Amino acid sequence: MIPYLIFAIFFGLLLLGIHRKTIARIQRRPGPPVWQEILHMLKFAFKVTWIPATASDTLFVGVVLIAIGIWTAALFVVLAGESILIIFGIYMLHKIVEHGFGLSSGSPYGKFGGVRSVISAASEIPLFVSIAAIAIYTKSLMLSDIIDYQQVHGPLIFIIPLAAFAMYMVILSKMPYGPFSVVEAKELVSGYKTEHFGVWRAGLEICNGLKSYVLLMTFVIVFFGAVPFAWLLLAMVLIIITLAFVCALCPMLSPFDSVTIQTGIAGLMLIYALYLGWTG
Amino acid sequence: MSSVGGATLAHLPFGDIVIYITPFTLTLFLLALVFTILVIASRPERQLDITFGADRIITKETGLTEMRFRRFMAIACGLASMGAMLTGDVFDFALFTSLVGITNVGIVAAVKSRHVQNAAFQYGLVAMAGTVPLFGAAAMVAATTGTLSMLELAKEATSVVPFAVKAFLVLGVMGEGMAPFYAAKAEMFRAPGAPYVIMCSLSSLLIFLRVIEVVLTV
Repeated sequence: MIPYLIFAIFFGLLLLGIHRKTIARIQRRPGPPVWQEILHMLKFAFKVTWIPATASDTLFVGVVLIAIGIWTAALFVVLAGESILIIFGIYMLHKIVEHGFGLSSGSPYGKFGGVRSVISAASEIPLFVSIAAIAIYTKSLMLSDIIDYQQVHGPLIFIIPLAAFAMYMVILSKMPYGPFSVVEAKELVSGYKTEHFGVWRAGLEICNGLKSYVLLMTFVIVFFGAVPFAWLLLAMVLIIITLAFVCALCPMLSPFDSVTIQTGIAGLMLIYALYLGWTG
Repeated sequence: MSSVGGATLAHLPFGDIVIYITPFTLTLFLLALVFTILVIASRPERQLDITFGADRIITKETGLTEMRFRRFMAIACGLASMGAMLTGDVFDFALFTSLVGITNVGIVAAVKSRHVQNAAFQYGLVAMAGTVPLFGAAAMVAATTGTLSMLELAKEATSVVPFAVKAFLVLGVMGEGMAPFYAAKAEMFRAPGAPYVIMCSLSSLLIFLRVIEVVLTV
């Protein structure tokens, strides 16, 4: 399990590197090498580490450990074929982690990042719609049951494409350099993670790598079913490239517009879930 | 639905308070526990604020009395959240959820600032209004099914709890769990105390997650 965890961290960071490189090439820039995010993580792990004088020390450090802990747990939940509701819970708890990162330092930049994280809570609702739609068809929220259902009825992406779209939007809302990345916008320096340097930032990078891996793997398993490992990795790379196209071609929205659009999408998805519930 | 939060790992019939543990409820319980320990162990940060009209940055401090009260409220909130995560009784869930609402009002209202107290007052009104559908839903579950036990209700092949009752329960939880939006409006901008504000957001999120499991299970 530990080798798989390490693999997931490094592959997740590689995915983020591919994402960044693709954005750069679409925008006709050379961009950093695809392994840049891995280098970042390793570099921060060996840099001088400190805690700001104004920070809430225990929370400042604790939240990094919680961030790694929840996504490690999420990885093992997916591998064990447990309830997708746990993944949903962990995904939503990541918002609390962002909130904790931002507020614990006492920095105004981090604070604004944390506040933006709270106000963009609407971005999570499409995930609930996705789960509701899956539940209506598969009559279970266990990943193992969802995989079994797809072996009989075919991939869910063809049965409930809008639910797949909803989850795709959820993943998009968590991607860096995207239209909804208001929590780490440049006018806030780095937003909620501004004050976390050195080994704390390395921990955050590990969390980001794991998060990307888990979310993309969950997407592939839930909507395409059990696929051979090589195909799983290839599908994750292809999805991250499509996300990079969206991020490269859409400017970052203002916080107000970001929340408005996310709320609009959430509203449409709720109507879709109600329709499925009515007809299913 | 047979498997919402995973297989039941254990259940403790503790008087009326039936505790049941699934991978889902256990995960949420552990998270509430970890954050409660963080609240106990953490001191509030000192927020930096920019002074408008001058080239100056000030550091905000939290007074000892205020810190003690907010920490007490945050710990109570953590305990209420833990109870709401593990309970297998609809009435107890409503009770723990309303306690989460009350403690969240306490966390916000302890700050001696006009803006923050306005936010706490408004949130208090919403939370108080939320108790009506919350406890009303619990009462209607008992009236329509004859039991409040989630384990008993989960045994039914198709849900015997009317859709409107489930909607009431969700509405009640929404009323109690609105704290982060009021806190984000005023408190975070004007008052330090990250460990306690986080407990507001965490407890609200946890009760939202649990109510999803409850309405899908019963």
